[in-house]
Amino acid sequence: MSDDVMDQLAGLAPGTAAFELRRQRPDVVKHLQGSDDAIFSPADDGGLTPAERAASALRVAELLRDDALTGHYRARLATLDPAGTLARTVEGGAQITEGRWDAILAHVDLVTRGPASAERDDIDELTAVGLSSHAIVSLSQLIAYVNFQSRVLAGLRMLKGAS
Amino acid sequence: MSKPMRDFTHGELEWRPWVPPLDLNTARQEQLVALKVTPSNRAVGAYSLVLAHDPEALSERSPLYNGIMFGQKGLPRADRELGAVAASRINGCAYCASVHALRFTQLTKRPEVMERIQADGVEAVLDPRLNAILDYSAKLTRDPAAITPADAAPLRAQGLTDMEILDLTHAVAMFAWANRLMQTLGEPTTPAAQGNPL
Repeated sequence: MSDDVMDQLAGLAPGTAAFELRRQRPDVVKHLQGSDDAIFSPADDGGLTPAERAASALRVAELLRDDALTGHYRARLATLDPAGTLARTVEGGAQITEGRWDAILAHVDLVTRGPASAERDDIDELTAVGLSSHAIVSLSQLIAYVNFQSRVLAGLRMLKGAS
Repeated sequence: MSKPMRDFTHGELEWRPWVPPLDLNTARQEQLVALKVTPSNRAVGAYSLVLAHDPEALSERSPLYNGIMFGQKGLPRADRELGAVAASRINGCAYCASVHALRFTQLTKRPEVMERIQADGVEAVLDPRLNAILDYSAKLTRDPAAITPADAAPLRAQGLTDMEILDLTHAVAMFAWANRLMQTLGEPTTPAAQGNPL
């Protein structure tokens, strides 16, 4: 199996039709993986921690009911947050007790479900719990990216299944 | 068409940031490098200056956007714009829909297509090929989990190759991304007098 994240998620092995189809867009393959790396393993995380990133992505994947993506981010989060504190708030309905994480999770839901209803106050709430401009932009890119990723994945599965 | 469609493609990006834009005078080298490539090759506006707070993500997203929307061969560019319009309309980004509707019309010289979408949204009755593209774009935008292998059939029946279907998927997905950034890090501002038909 390729070490490309989309190939892994869609189950595309080298030599298969859908795998080779993707290689006709090398820039897309390269910069999609590059985006994934920049969003989940940045050199400078701007204060949005790796565990918060994985947990936010897990929430988007759950909202979109994407099982492969959910499993992917659940596994990533498990390595970053072995105690499962964030995972329980995302998946277990555990009480959220921390203002910062509460605000992040609320923003994940808003941007995924109703981006047109976002307001300046929603950004101000992130600032109020201590997120820097860098962290706010990183969080926004992450939520939007996983929404993108789920749709690319849906299309790849469709093409794989229809070939 | 009831109102003239504003030509956003040659004007500045009218967008009011909710996060303070990067000050170019104090920007780090990495941020300046990231700003060199912007998705639509405009002068650096507030939107790009906000995204430059995370230069690593911006540096990858800009060439990804360009590869998806402007990559050679494959699905005609106008059809990618139609996918962008469908996604933007459903996601509530009137500004994005308007920009890409205009590009579609410039590329196709078929203003009646966007007039119908203006009137009837993604339920508009177009020609069978455009309707197949519109229907898939709408379904992928609304609920990607609902897509099954059977959804490829109407596109193939209209002559789309798998390469073209992949290109359309990328374009629609990119606007799941773009519509979210543009509407949640600030607000597009369109003078009411200009109208904003989509």
